[in-house]
Amino acid sequence: MTWVTFLGNATDPKIGGIAFFGIFLSLVVFLIGQWLFKISNGFFLFQPLFVGMVLGIFILWLLSKWFGVALPTFYTAAYKPGGDILFWFLNPATIAFAVPLYRRNDVFKKFWLEIILSLVVGMVISLFAIYYISKGLGLNNDVISSMLPQAATTAIAMPISGAIGGTPAVTAMACILNAVLIYALADILIKVFRLNSDPVGAGLGLGTAGHTVGSAKAVQLGSVQGAMASIAVVVISIVVDVVVPPFAHMMGLF
Amino acid sequence: MASNATQAKNQAPEHEPAPILQQMAIFASVLFVSSLISPLFPKSFPVPTPVIGLVLMYLLLATHIIKLYQIEKMADFLISLIAFLFVPSGVQMAASLNVFTEHGPMDGVMMIVTIILATIILLVVIAYTTACFMWVSRKLFHKSTDVE
Repeated sequence: MTWVTFLGNATDPKIGGIAFFGIFLSLVVFLIGQWLFKISNGFFLFQPLFVGMVLGIFILWLLSKWFGVALPTFYTAAYKPGGDILFWFLNPATIAFAVPLYRRNDVFKKFWLEIILSLVVGMVISLFAIYYISKGLGLNNDVISSMLPQAATTAIAMPISGAIGGTPAVTAMACILNAVLIYALADILIKVFRLNSDPVGAGLGLGTAGHTVGSAKAVQLGSVQGAMASIAVVVISIVVDVVVPPFAHMMGLF
Repeated sequence: MASNATQAKNQAPEHEPAPILQQMAIFASVLFVSSLISPLFPKSFPVPTPVIGLVLMYLLLATHIIKLYQIEKMADFLISLIAFLFVPSGVQMAASLNVFTEHGPMDGVMMIVTIILATIILLVVIAYTTACFMWVSRKLFHKSTDVE
């Protein structure tokens, strides 16, 4: 038994589901992030999720060097079994957003038409902006295709990315970075662009750009923002389903 | 319509929260039913289990089949954990860091720049578009857009 398998090989029946390392590491790096965030008086680069991600990858990289294996191999053997268990809880956490949505059912019922129109029109404008920025930065077509569906949740964005000639792994990466970035930058962006003057818009924007993590941020801002971000997560995924493939076709990406 | 919402709000303090195992059971049932519905969608139009689950849960609440006190505590707890639950997704990038380097190092930097810009664009464009539509409703259709 090598150290790599000892640290959490859940697939080896002889060792039997040691998934503790992944869960332990996730908790430790996140708590370090929370502590750093607190002692730095809320410095945006010390957001717990961002610190957790960077520190987690760094520690795995150090350990993989220590044991002399490739980082992806080490990740799969040592971290993934525990990480997958935590990851599963995003399923119930996503459906939990029905509660903030229902709490402000009055707002949804009053503005449902504005919400859907804003998300469809806003999505199309964003697609043009993302397309021309990627073009301007000199990315090739398959990377551009991978960038377009990132507003949907990962499970929707990945197959669409593949269908329009992109690389699903790049899209998944974009979706994850969206969430991490929104969690770190939301406060600054809201202040700079004065988004909170319209709580409905701020909520929809956070849910679109930051997925469920953006919605969790929106819930902290207020009940209206939370409800709007929750509805955005659902509606924008459907909008991406419908709008992105024709857009990619129109732009001649595949 | 609005009375439903206020009624729901008033109900919350009257009721003790349901036992936590019952709340978990409701979440598990909704997820299970959603996981049966999800494969019914065609491959070209994927709708994943949690998205169906969110809609289903909302419909159950809106039709008063499930009351707020039966799931509220569990839901608030899970939402407060979201940032932590995302750590494994972030660390998962360790397994595919090569997608940033395989097109050459410059492309990797450009990809990250694009993702950062795309995130900001999505947030700002959606928020401003909504503000525009709200303005139209207010000016053209004389609808009150006050919330809170």
